[in-house]
This record gives sequence, structure tokens and C-alpha cells, in this order.
Amino acid sequence: MSNPVSDEVAEDYKSSLEDLTNNDRFQISNLTVIAKENTEHAEAISKVLEDHIRATPPPQKLPALYVVDSIVKNVGTPYTLFLGRKMYQTFINAYTLVDPQTRRKLDEMLKTWKEPVPGSLDKRPVFPPHITRDIENALIKARTAFLHSQRQRGQPEINRARGSVTPTGWTNSPTPPTMPRPNQPYANNGQGIPSTGTPPHGHRPDAELASLHRDLEALIASARNDFGNNPFNQTIQQRLKSLLDLQGIMQRQQLSPEERKLVRDQLASLTTPQPGPSAAPVPTPTPPPQPPAQSLPSILNSETIAELLKATGVNQTPAAPIPPQMPNLLPQMPQMPSASSTPQPAESPLIAALRMRGLLPPASAPPMMGSNATPPPASLPFLIPGQLRSTPPVPTPQASTPVGHSSTVPMTTTSMKIPRMGLVVSLYEAKSNRCGTCGRRFPATDEGREKKARHLDWHFKTNQRMVEATKRAQTRSWYVDEGDWVQSREADDDQGTADTEANAEGAAGADNNGSKQSPPKQWIRAPNDAMLRNTPCPICQEKFESTWSEEVQDWIWQDAVTVTGRVYHASCYDEVTKDGPAPRGFTPQARTGTPDSVLGKRKAEGIESPGQKVRIKTEP
Amino acid sequence: MSLPGLELTQPSEERQHVIAPPSQITLNSGSEWRFEVAFGHTIRVKLLTGTAELFGTELAESQTYTFTGTKAAIFTWHGCELEISAGEPSSTTTVDGSTSAAGHGAGGCQSEYTSDDTPMMEYANMHFALEAIREEAASEGKDGPRVLLLGPDNAGKTSLAKILTSYATKLGGQPLVVNLDPTEGMLNVPGTLSATVFRTMLDVENGWGSSPMSGPSPVPVKLPLVYSYPLPSPLEGEGSVYRPIVSRLALQVTERMAKDEDVRKTGIIVDAPGDLSSGKPGSLEMINHIVTEFAITNIVVLGSERLYSNMVKSYDNKPSSSAAAVVFDERVSVVKLSKSGGCVDRDALFLKKTRESQIRSYFFGNTLPTTTLPTSTSAITLSPSTLQVDFASLTVYNYTVVSTEDEDEDDYDPSQLNTGDSFLPGGNDNYSDVKQETDRAAPLPGIVGLSSDHTTNANSYSSSNVPLKRVLPPAPSALENTLIAITHASTSASPADVRDASIKGFLYVANVDADKGKIMLLSPIRGTIPAQAMIWARRWPDEVVGLVG
Repeated sequence: MSNPVSDEVAEDYKSSLEDLTNNDRFQISNLTVIAKENTEHAEAISKVLEDHIRATPPPQKLPALYVVDSIVKNVGTPYTLFLGRKMYQTFINAYTLVDPQTRRKLDEMLKTWKEPVPGSLDKRPVFPPHITRDIENALIKARTAFLHSQRQRGQPEINRARGSVTPTGWTNSPTPPTMPRPNQPYANNGQGIPSTGTPPHGHRPDAELASLHRDLEALIASARNDFGNNPFNQTIQQRLKSLLDLQGIMQRQQLSPEERKLVRDQLASLTTPQPGPSAAPVPTPTPPPQPPAQSLPSILNSETIAELLKATGVNQTPAAPIPPQMPNLLPQMPQMPSASSTPQPAESPLIAALRMRGLLPPASAPPMMGSNATPPPASLPFLIPGQLRSTPPVPTPQASTPVGHSSTVPMTTTSMKIPRMGLVVSLYEAKSNRCGTCGRRFPATDEGREKKARHLDWHFKTNQRMVEATKRAQTRSWYVDEGDWVQSREADDDQGTADTEANAEGAAGADNNGSKQSPPKQWIRAPNDAMLRNTPCPICQEKFESTWSEEVQDWIWQDAVTVTGRVYHASCYDEVTKDGPAPRGFTPQARTGTPDSVLGKRKAEGIESPGQKVRIKTEP
Repeated sequence: MSLPGLELTQPSEERQHVIAPPSQITLNSGSEWRFEVAFGHTIRVKLLTGTAELFGTELAESQTYTFTGTKAAIFTWHGCELEISAGEPSSTTTVDGSTSAAGHGAGGCQSEYTSDDTPMMEYANMHFALEAIREEAASEGKDGPRVLLLGPDNAGKTSLAKILTSYATKLGGQPLVVNLDPTEGMLNVPGTLSATVFRTMLDVENGWGSSPMSGPSPVPVKLPLVYSYPLPSPLEGEGSVYRPIVSRLALQVTERMAKDEDVRKTGIIVDAPGDLSSGKPGSLEMINHIVTEFAITNIVVLGSERLYSNMVKSYDNKPSSSAAAVVFDERVSVVKLSKSGGCVDRDALFLKKTRESQIRSYFFGNTLPTTTLPTSTSAITLSPSTLQVDFASLTVYNYTVVSTEDEDEDDYDPSQLNTGDSFLPGGNDNYSDVKQETDRAAPLPGIVGLSSDHTTNANSYSSSNVPLKRVLPPAPSALENTLIAITHASTSASPADVRDASIKGFLYVANVDADKGKIMLLSPIRGTIPAQAMIWARRWPDEVVGLVG
């Protein structure tokens, strides 16, 4: 083990590097300054840089290499030495994986490395000639080989660029001026990362969006809090779901100013009645309403609004009292067959207002085939397959469609030609509750709603993890072998992993459950927050190690347990508390400094945890 | 080392792209919008109102879907409005160097039109009929239906498989889909046979979806069981390779069925290769093999009268080959469905590019150009790694089945002319695969190589007659730009075990340095290459030039 201070510096440096996703001059010079101030840890920092360049996804390699460039030019000696050692591998490896435009940038950078630092008294080149020469030779060789093979094949030239475009513009200085990198394949799900590619709507949309996200985050936090205190309160649960839904939508979609405003209005109305310890900043007053530019019912689809409204409607006392049965009706409304396209009279004022502004579609269903014989929602549950299957094949009494039950479709060629629009209902109308993100449908029953809520949670978490994941290089996994495949069960996206953190992890973990389970799996998801992530175990003062779990599809901390809000090594905690059951609220005494005894602490190696069966890789 | 693509294309070449304004298309209920997008061009489709589905998978309202290199159709049961716009021109230029990817249709489609004459009602009826069988089977405790889809190439078999899969998952079923077509990969590269259980939605933009990755995916990943079959037709070598792999796959599928209640209830959907419906000698025997191994209960024939009547004659109303057939009086039924008028012939170039893009996305993920498209649902960039290894350290096998029609094509490889192969004495042994010998024989260690050749040949021929032979160093230059499948078999396994082993994944050979005996590999995962037996996909899928670049 190397010097612990170095490790700490390196860790910090690593997390800063991970934030460097585009060619940001400020960040790069910042990283240079840090490197300059920590020359005594140059070796560790150089190692971090090399590792980062190797592991980061191709589009982020260039900025990282620019950090190297900036450091060797501005700081020099110790770094040139350490970075020079592996420069050949680092450079060639990156060069191989990036697209042609980026390669040109790298070529330019390499050229400057053969020359003295501009304006410096030292006339030696940036890197010793033998390093740059090796790299150049390899590149030349590769180029000739390629040209050669091209000629031989007599084929036209083929460009295998990887579908990404790098910035153009700066050519002379390798450490370029601040320039947003237009190509961010990852930004699509980025948490509030506005796309630089779209023309800005209105004024300061980014700041506005950011503040929206902040507000939303605060609301969610407080809602979570409430939920924690009252886990059985339906209202709070609904409210949290709606908020998460809204956040999911905001993260995935580009909001136009009108939509943003709408969201803000919603948030404002949600924030005000909150009596609890909500720290949510009150949003700025909204500008006067303006008509939306074009049809934008998109973002806040009626269900979202309805759910949001439901939450608000119960929480606050609305100006116009809503009939008690209204909230339950609302989510179904858009799907209800309705003769006229006029809104239902019983609509709540908010929905009506939104509709007036054109932000919600009129309360009519899409035109339905199968004519007016469409069964009313009440009879629809009969077509849900789960029930269909468990009930004996007695024709559903309410099936008012002409052909009726699916068991009437004989498997013959002639029978295939008979139109049976009535049956299509089971694919669409029978599941009227639709996920706005992926189009998946759920039945409009309580069970269906619950499933949808879990499904939306799944989307939300996945988006969150995708944002996280862009910081690390992702790879294709190996396919499983026969035995594992036969044993595997498909995981679904409507089985909540949220509330069941530590035990059953969907269907994927199911095969573990059968086997011996004497030591419980003690692990938690690695927190996203950098602060928390760097907080050591209070007992042994050692940091937690993140490992990737295939089954959980997330980074986890093995052998960790949360006790009264703090995270301990499960083995440490057991050690301290084993003399007897700890009284409630007991917090183990933190040891300071070095552990008393090296032998005193055992990491539970053999503890069963998800991913153990599959591959576990350590966080790079 | 070869890093193709260096300096040779400049972005300045990028044509000024005329971006068509978004156009709106209104579909009446029961009609579909058929579109073809070339590789190198993308379109975006948004569902404005109504409902719409692509091969059975429903589109979410107001989400933007991006397509490239696709020939597909969006169908609506209830009527809908779609908005079509052109995407960013992707930087992948076409093979012949032209960038004439954008067509004149809406959003730059090469061809697009709406049609209200679709066989969707038939396909949906097929699904409902299967649902009825599933219900009946569940009430009697039988296994769900096992469906075999037959039909010539471009008849819409895979599309129908997707529709049936999608509808079944929509109703909560978990169909086990078996892809037996080596020309098209399901969830992975071509040259494979695979089986996958579907529970979650298919990916609208991406065909079947994606196999597991180290990170999260916006559409749940699917877990395939994969076997390598690196030959384009199931009938190569009179099916001597295809047949045992199908049996092996069927065995695993049956086992999964027995253990997984959800799969057992929903049943199997088998997508057969088009080659089996072309009336070639041996194809009926192969169909019979598949019907027997998977205990098929329902045969669906698409777009071939002759095959249909053949199938009716041989199978209709005969007992299925499942063990339970006697108990339940389970009988095979044969049904003919119309081929969709939207089925278009995919020309060789398009198919080649489809295969290339499958291979590319295996290593690099789905990198649709999403520069200005924050809502695209499925773009994930993967970071494979390159590494150089001693070829001698790998245990690579190669199939030595020779088919006459491919031989000419194989022999022509200009890059080999330099290696001096043609000057080697050819008649050094009398096995049929002279081709293989010339490949392997490199200029340097002639004598040693030959003597060991004899022993391997003798071994493999005497032991099991598996046409699988170890490729001994020096590394043949033909390795370059091809795929190598890593099996789960150990390096000391017999050829038959290697053939029957499911695979772990693929490596791509970027470069061969014959002098040093090293090869440069692209591996999906960082780290050392698993020490396992490997199968060289020498003949199929065809080589992809410059994947690393």
C-alpha cells in the first residue's frame, strides 16, 4: 500500500476527473492547478489519470488527455516523468477507440509534444523524443498498413466513424478555449443537462431548468420524508409517485418554456400547502400565461397531471371542492369512450384550465374500432389475462363484443382471416393505464396502478443510474452458460427494488433464495452522494469499497449495514454489538486513528450477496 | 497494427444536408405506414395522437423514436397521427463511399407510403388462437404451444415472431423465442443460434433489444443463450453441424420449460431460417428435425403455398412429438398466413450492413447519432478494449465444412496473395479441406506445422467426425477482420464438446502480425481473454473491415 495521503489525493482527483465530461477549459485548468499543488503526489495522480483515460468512454477520452497535456506543459517535471512511462499505451489505446475527428485532435496534440513548451526558456520538448517517436512510428505504421490493405483490396475507402461528431474550430492550441462539446451521447438522459444542440427557448432556460430541478428535488425529498414517517398513507404515497413521475419526465425530455412554466406552476401549487419541514424554495412568480406555440400535450400527459392533481387535491383545500370520487375517476378519463369531445363537466378546475390552454388533449378517447359495443371499464378486468387464465374457460358474461372470448379462435387457416376487432381490446383498452415513457400498458385496477407505480420507479431509477453510468466505461457482458440460463428467470420492470433493498432483488435473485442462506446478505447500494461515499466506517475508519453487482444492476457495498442513518461494515458492527443485543438507539463507539488490532477486524468474505454467483468487478 | 480510417475521411466532405421539414402522417385505423431508412441516415418518429405499434410493440405517445438502416412498418389499430422528421446525418459513410443515404420521402426515407391492406388481423388472430391454446393448456396442465414459423427469406417471419412475442408479453406471458436463423442474430451477432425468454417490452428502435451490459439500460435487457454456428446456411455439410447444435439448444430449452412455470405456460416461438423453405435438398429433413426436437405443436407457414401443402401432408393433425402427446392427445396443426404486402426484399448490401451494424453494436453499443436528441430512448455507448495476444496462447477451432457454392468466393482474398500461400505445395494431404490447409500454412515453419496437422486431423476424424479443427499457429492472415466466438468449453474439450458448447461472447480480430505470431483483438470486456476453447467465425458472418476505427 502506498502513502495514505496520496491515496486520498488520488481519490479526490479521480472524482474530479469523472466530472470532466466535455472540453471545459475551466475544469481542465482547475485540474492542472490541483496537480501543480500536489506535486508530491505526482505518481498517484499520474496513475489516476492513466486509469481514467483508459476506463472512460471514448467521447470523454479527449478532455482527459487534454488534462494531461495541460499538466505536462504547465507543471512539467515530475508529471512528465510519471506520465511518460505509460504514455505509449495510454495514447494508442485512446487513439484506437476514438473517432476520426478526435484522432486529428490527438495528432495535433502529439505534434505539440515534440516541441518545447511555447514561451518557455527550456528548449527541450514537452516529452522526451523517444516517447513521442514511438507513438508516431506506431501511427505511421498503422496508416501505411491500412492504405496498403486498401489498395490491395481494391475497395473504396470505408469510414467507420462511430457516429459521433467532435467539435470543430480550434486547431492550433491543443488545450482549447472553452467550448461546449456538442456531442454528448449521454446527455440524453442527463439529469438536467440541457442539450446544447437545441436552440435556446426564451431566456436562460438552463438556469430556469436547474432551478426547476432543484425545486422538484426538494419536494421529492420532503415527500420521501413524509412517506418515511407515514408509510401507509395513500395520499403521501401518491404524491411521491407523481413527483417521481414528473421528475422522470423532466429528465428525459426537452421542455419548452411553456412546459417548463407549467411544471413550475404545478410545483408552486404543491409547495405552498406543505406545512412540514419542507425546505423547498418557493419558486419565483410565474410570468403571465401565454398561449402555447404548438400542440404540446406531450410532456405532461393527462395521467401525470391527473395524478399530480390527485395528490394536490387531497393535500390542499382547493378553491372549488372536488367531489370525493373525482380523483379516482380522473386517471381513467382520457380512455373512456365518450361521444362528444367536450370536457366532462365534473372536471376539476386545474385540468380544465390546462385543457383550455391547450396543454391537455380534449377529454375524448381515440376513435375506437369495434364500434359502440366497447365494454364499459367496469367489465374490462375480465379480459386481464391473469384472471382469464385462472378462471375456467367459461365465456365472460359481460363480453359484449361480437366475437367475445379468445377461446373462440380456432387454429385454422380460414379462421385466421375473420376480423375480430373485439379481441384487440385485450391488447389496448383492457389496459388503459399507459406509461408515458415506454408505452407499456397497465390495467386500470388497483393492482395495475400499483404495478405502474413500481414501473415508473424503475424508469426513474434506471435514468438515475444511466446518468451515473456515463461516468464509467460500460461494456457488454459475457453471455451466461447453459446452467445459469436454465436457472435464470426474467426480471421485470414492475417489481419494485426500492422498498426491498436488502432482500429479494426481483426475479434475478430468486435462484439465490433457494440455496443456503444462513448468513444474510449484508450489502447496500453505494450512495450516489460523493460525501457519503467517502465517509468511512465509523468503527474501523476504513472506506467502503464499491463493487458492481450484475444482479442488482448497481454499485453496491458489500458487508455494509445501515444503522440509525450511518453506514457500518456489517462485520465491524457485529463485532462491536455481539456481546448482547444493542439497546435501541445505541451507536457504537467510533474508534479513532488506526484500528487496535489488525486481526480484530474481519471482512466477511464468504457472505452471500447478489452478484456473487455472477461476475463482480471492482470499481476502477 | 492497423487503425483503419486514419486521416482518410475528413468531415469537410460531409455533404450539405437538406433537412426536410417534419411531416405529419395520419393513419386510419387498421392501416400502416411502411418506411425504409438507409444506413447513414436517421429519421425520427413521434406519435402525436392515437395508438401505434411497430411489429407489435406499442409506441409511447410523444416520445421520439430514432431509426436508421431499417425497413419496417408502424401499424395502428385505432388510427393515429405520426410526425416524421429527419435526424442528424450520421457520420458513417456508406460502403461505396457515397452519402446518398437520404431519400425523398418524409424525413428523408428512401421509400415510405401508407397501406391499409395488411395481414395484421391474421397475425393478431394467430396470437389470440395461441392465447386460447395457452388457456386450455394451463387448465389441463399441459405445456403451452410450441410454434414454428416457416417461410422463404423476406416473408416476414422475424416480424411475425416479434409481433407474437410482443403480444404475448403484453398479456403477461413469457414466450421463449428461439432464433435458428444464422443469417440474422437475435440480441447478438449473426452466425449464432440462440434462445431467449421475453418478459419485458421489445425495443422499438432496436429490434429485439439488447443483451446484458455492465450498466443500466432504458429498455430492460434480455438474457440469451447463444451457440455459435458460423455458417450462412443450416444445410452446409448436409446439416452435419446445424443438426447437433439444434438438438443441444432444444435440450436446454426443454429444461428451461420444465423448470420455469411462466415459460411453460406461454410456450415457444421458433423462427426458422428462410433457407429451409426454399426446397433445397435436405431442408424437409431439417424441418422434421426441428419439429421433433422442439416438440412443435403449431406450424405457421408464411408466403409459400408449396411448403404449406407439404407441411399439411406431413404434419397436420399428427400427434406432436412431446412426451405428453399421448396423454393429452396433443396434435400438430398447420396454418398458413398471408405474407404482408409490405415485405420487401432486402438486397445483399442491405443485409450485409445490417449484419455489420449488429456486430458493431455488440461491441460499441447502440450509438445512434443522438447529438441533438436528448429523448432518444436507447443510445448507450459501450467501451470495448483492444489487446494484443499471442495467437499460440489461444485455442481456436475452425469449421472445415466446404460448400461448393461458397468456395470461389472464399478463395478470392487478395490480401493473401502476398503471404506466398499460392506457392506452397498444395497436395500435402488428401483431406477434403484443402482450403483450410492453405489458410493455415504460412511461409515459415512448414515441416512442424504439417506433421502436427496430420495428428489433429487424425484425432478429429477418428474421434467424432466433427468437422472442427484446431487452428494452429502461425496465425492465418484470414483471421483479420473476422469474429471469434469464445465458448464455455474448456481448452482441452473434444471437438464435439466445443461444437455443442454455448458461447460467452465474441472477439474481433483487428489485426494479425504473422511474423511475431501476435493478433490484436477487440474484446467487449476489459481484462484478460477467457482461457476457453474458441470457434473462428471464418466464413460467417462475413468480415467487417475496420471495426476498430
